[in-house]
Amino acid sequence: MSGLRDAVAEGIAEGRMGERLWLYATYHCNLACSYCLTESSPQIADRRHLDRAAMLEAVHQAQELGLTCVGITGGETFMVPWLPEALAEIGEIMPTIVLTNATLFTDRMLERLQPLAGRDVALQISLDSDQPSRNDEFRGPDNFAKVLDAIPKLLNRGIRVRLATTVEYQTEAELANLCTLHRSLGISDDDHVVRSVVRRGRAVAREMGAELGADDVLPELTVTADGAFLHPFAPTVRNGRTDLDLLVSRQTRPLDRAMSRFLQVTAGLPSGADVVRNIR
Amino acid sequence: MPLPEVDEAPLLARAFYRADGSASALTRSFAIAAEMMETLMPFLGQIMDESSIDLPTKELVIMRVSQLNGCVYCLAAHRPVALDADVSDSQLAAVCDLAGLDSLSPRERAIIAWVDQVARDASGVTDALVAATLDHLRDDQLVELTVLAGTITMLNQYCTAFQIPPPGGGL
Repeated sequence: MSGLRDAVAEGIAEGRMGERLWLYATYHCNLACSYCLTESSPQIADRRHLDRAAMLEAVHQAQELGLTCVGITGGETFMVPWLPEALAEIGEIMPTIVLTNATLFTDRMLERLQPLAGRDVALQISLDSDQPSRNDEFRGPDNFAKVLDAIPKLLNRGIRVRLATTVEYQTEAELANLCTLHRSLGISDDDHVVRSVVRRGRAVAREMGAELGADDVLPELTVTADGAFLHPFAPTVRNGRTDLDLLVSRQTRPLDRAMSRFLQVTAGLPSGADVVRNIR
Repeated sequence: MPLPEVDEAPLLARAFYRADGSASALTRSFAIAAEMMETLMPFLGQIMDESSIDLPTKELVIMRVSQLNGCVYCLAAHRPVALDADVSDSQLAAVCDLAGLDSLSPRERAIIAWVDQVARDASGVTDALVAATLDHLRDDQLVELTVLAGTITMLNQYCTAFQIPPPGGGL
């Protein structure tokens, strides 16, 4: 393990890999966004979720390997029924970001999230425009209203909120207005992430987004129910099948087996090959 | 069974594609289980490449076992390999059409008798058959030969079960 830990430290120091472990909690989602990487929707037959024990085990092992933070994504992460309690546990181990569409935050759910207050756990909520119709065109009916309802409630409970905007069609003025909006909500510029649509998953059929080049994304070990992948934009789904081109390892438990193969794949990357497009 | 092209294949599997990006249908079918390839491909290389047993003998065995198991893929894929290894048309006819082994040498006939028994019913191997085979092979060569026959049977079953398309089309 110490040899592997040294190799991880070297990979991070040389800019060949990131220090975050990504976990795909589920491929299931209550929305069906037009640019979704994973073709997630309420209708998918195979939800492919990680179980709670597997997630916690991966986080513990990632920490032993020298990774320093966790990202949890999907699908809609809060479709996983036990996620709020698991987040509190994971947040005790390492700083955590969980990506969510924030449309499932009922009062009961917010109560279950209360233990996250003051912890190093941030909810990264998707919002693509300051205009409801523009946002909802891509993210579904009433999405804007639900997000704007949820954010103050979360912040008032002392839960950290970040905002993620996926860029495809927005004008500069629209993005500027969105920034004005998030500042007015109490979300700083540092907590606003903007990235372009990536032409994988559902975005391929709709001819949206930019092709992903080999050096566009910093490799970060990404664990899903289908295996471990090179980065969080890798385990995409097209026509119901998971793309395997960026698969690193089918075996994800124990995590060191997947990490060994991840290091094998990233060893060929040039030192400092961070990112061109800075997609994270 | 998906047969990914090199740019669709898992990263670890790409090392097993040729430099020009091509690969046999069998290799491509393995690609979705890339970790298995890390041990399987060197194993197959060790078993099927020339060793203490010469290549023509190995190819004769591969063709014979594939014929017995009715593997369309392996027969089509290995016929040109056998010819390249200086296996003659008459030798191929002897092992593939099952019409008779008279054109083969005594050593080749002994080897075919051994692999026939192993492939058809390994429990039917007798001490006399072992002794007869060891008249032509060292004991280490008999071990290799038997592992080769078993490996080819495994590949025959795999290719047939998944209907791996043979070179030149079909299936």
